[in-house]
Amino acid sequence: MKQRVPHTGLRITTILVSMVVSVVTIILCCCVFVFLDRYRSAMVQSARTSSEQAVSQVSSTVESYLRDMDQSMRLVRQFMLEEPERRDELLSAFLKFRPDVVAVTSYSPEGELLECWAPGREPKEEIFQNLSFDLQTARAAEEPYIMAPHVESIFEGYYPWVVTVTAPIPEGGEAAWVSLDLSFSGISSYINNVSIGQRGYCFLMDAGGNIVYHPQQQLLYSGLKSENTAALAALADGTYADDTVISCLEAVGDSGWRIVGVSYVDELVNRNVTEMLRLSFVLAIVVLAASLLTSWLLSRLLDRPLRGLAAAMGSFEKDADHFTYRPVGGTREVQELSQSFGHMVVRIQKLMTTVREEEVNLRKTELRALQTQINPHFLYNTLDSIAWMCEQGRNADAVKMVHALARLFRISISQGHELIPVAREIEHAESYLQIQKYRYKNQFTYAFDVDPECLDFLCNKITLQPIIENAINHGLKLLVDEGRIDVRVYRDGEDVVFCVQDNGVGMTPEQVESILRRDPGNHTGIGIKNVNDRLQIYFGRQYGLHITSEPDVGTTVEIRMPQIREGDYETK
Amino acid sequence: MKRSKSILLCILLTLFCLCGCLSENTMPTQHSVVLIAKSTSTEFWLSVFAGAEAAATEYNVNLTIIGPETEEDYEAQNAMVERAVQENAEAIVFSAIDFENNAGAIDAAAQAGVQVVAIDSSVDSTAVKTYIGTDNYAAGRMAAQTALGRLDGTLNVGIVNYDISSANGQERERGAKDVFMESGRAEITAVINTLAEAETARIDTAALLAEHPEINVLLAFNEPTSVGAAQAVGDLGLSEQVFLVGFDSNVVTVDCLQEGSVDALVVQNPYAMGYLGVESAYRLLSGGSKDVQHVVDTSTRIVDRENLFSIDSQKALFAFEQRTH
Repeated sequence: MKQRVPHTGLRITTILVSMVVSVVTIILCCCVFVFLDRYRSAMVQSARTSSEQAVSQVSSTVESYLRDMDQSMRLVRQFMLEEPERRDELLSAFLKFRPDVVAVTSYSPEGELLECWAPGREPKEEIFQNLSFDLQTARAAEEPYIMAPHVESIFEGYYPWVVTVTAPIPEGGEAAWVSLDLSFSGISSYINNVSIGQRGYCFLMDAGGNIVYHPQQQLLYSGLKSENTAALAALADGTYADDTVISCLEAVGDSGWRIVGVSYVDELVNRNVTEMLRLSFVLAIVVLAASLLTSWLLSRLLDRPLRGLAAAMGSFEKDADHFTYRPVGGTREVQELSQSFGHMVVRIQKLMTTVREEEVNLRKTELRALQTQINPHFLYNTLDSIAWMCEQGRNADAVKMVHALARLFRISISQGHELIPVAREIEHAESYLQIQKYRYKNQFTYAFDVDPECLDFLCNKITLQPIIENAINHGLKLLVDEGRIDVRVYRDGEDVVFCVQDNGVGMTPEQVESILRRDPGNHTGIGIKNVNDRLQIYFGRQYGLHITSEPDVGTTVEIRMPQIREGDYETK
Repeated sequence: MKRSKSILLCILLTLFCLCGCLSENTMPTQHSVVLIAKSTSTEFWLSVFAGAEAAATEYNVNLTIIGPETEEDYEAQNAMVERAVQENAEAIVFSAIDFENNAGAIDAAAQAGVQVVAIDSSVDSTAVKTYIGTDNYAAGRMAAQTALGRLDGTLNVGIVNYDISSANGQERERGAKDVFMESGRAEITAVINTLAEAETARIDTAALLAEHPEINVLLAFNEPTSVGAAQAVGDLGLSEQVFLVGFDSNVVTVDCLQEGSVDALVVQNPYAMGYLGVESAYRLLSGGSKDVQHVVDTSTRIVDRENLFSIDSQKALFAFEQRTH
């Protein structure tokens, strides 16, 4: 059996899955990066646009408010030129239609409040400070001018925010100036409600960078929030975006006021980008998972049957005889491979059986050929012995010898049968012993002890003779004392045992081993090894020779074979 | 094969979990915040609400504003806290009428997992994550220093304070007393605790002035008591004699400031309290308590006749929004 070589290559699943996953990952990363980059710039653009739109809307609203103020002022100036009665009438009608006008006031050239027209209100008798009128500014201005938003401070318990427009009345007689206080709350709540994104807002700034109106006025004063108006005032109209804030400036007509829109990149852009990032991340994961799954399934389709095939091949390699082919499923290519493998397995197994059978037959033939041979030395010696007997006139002995020799040959041939009855084999062995006993001049004795029931069993012919030959040649020939050979045949369970025991010089275990291994070499005839081989070829490995030997004590050879009766062997 | 299958299954499961988590996170949530005020009628509180609403709009918070009928009803406040918890408010922006007696309800609310932000006046509870309001002790000192700065000679001080259990009133009083003590030329003639309601305050102040005609400095520590005290001083014709320092502003005290019955006002920043209160609640709900300071001092300023109509004071004193009085 071969030692398994440790695997160094990667498995197809690993290769395929990692390849697909890495390719998909790279592509996804590129796509997400490019997409997010584009998306971000688009978002920034749209944030700028929405900021600009909001600001320009506020700007036009404030502008129309100012224009409206201008027109109202023109109207009021005309009224002021009328007779007092007519003037009061016109003004009260004007105030009725314009609820956003808080007060119309007229001032003497010294800046004293002359008259006040306000719906349902009278000014305080003692005005602490009138924020709607400033004499110095009024004197300096020749045209109507607008004052920044302030609190109306001439009434008691009523302090609305107003914007005042003041105009000189050149021909107004008593009154030198007229002021119109217009409520600012409309504009302020409008600005409050402008939102750019969720947190973005607009505020109103004058040319010097002072905040005219800011929706989070109170936060600014408490220092909890600050607006870098100085920097903003230096900028021209337009949109400026930095990392956190998008500022958008726009002038309100020619009033000197500017609308500043502030919106947050974080909420308008980053939040959307983050959202999109998250979404694309989720998508990427889904795609990745899908590709993982697909590649895994694909590789399973390839890898699993291939490995099944490899495993089948491995087990075939280990034990080709007992391998049974089972088809491996999978793709068509694999199925074809599997089928080819199946055909190959069948072919190889068939070939193996043929080879084995042929080998056995060859061996049998070989052995049969050997059996028919007689050691020529044995024949010469025997014939010499017979000739010697005849010369000495020991005719009776010579006849016995000739008979024994004739029996020996007859049984050896046995009409070409391989198996002969035990009785015949015993007869063969006895003939041999008889001849050898004459030749060795009665140097040994022998005895047979055969179970009569065993006589009818069949055994391989020329089984005992090589053993006995060995016992005489290697055991008894060198012995000084008289030798003895005992041949016993008995049954042992299902088997028949032939036992050849001598009291010769014996053998060392190494010698025993070599006898069982060695081919007869230049000796002709059957060697002990051949006897063993033959028994095992015919009956199987559990049968054969067993040698126990001890130097100076003797050797016992046990031959074991199954009990075979006439007719049994044909079935084998 | 079995092993790799289970590994793959695990990976897929984790991925889907991740996906689930992510998609859940993308859902925008509107936090619900309840602002429980001390009152819903005074100018001060209206300004707080304006700030709170501005922040609610800015941070997309579902804001509910409630408050008791009178500024003494801490039990009604406790009931409101309980109801807010029942109605699954996530955060309460709270202004305690009673420093001690409101603590139980607030602790219980915090126990239920509600974040608590205190504005204007705090409560005796460790559950309060942040206090946003005036440094009342400093405000009290400021009031007293104003009086000391304007007047020479000996000062006989009368203090018109509101509910004795209010931490704010007591802190202001302590600050003022400390400054008067340090000056060495002032004496606290009398201290009264009246209701935070103008009419009662007027009557009580009038009684105080009748009982102690020597009083030449009067301190009132919140909006209604300031109004009451101003009216009492005006009614009694003592505008010249009595130097009145009030707290907070409304049209009445501003009128009185111009007339002379009120001489100075300590103006807090209620808009910032409301705004920052809701903003802090939002931060606590969305980002944890890392970026929320424990105490935030909203600014106070002194407004007197000189700076009444400066543009900054105008903006601090008068709301842009039109309110009905």
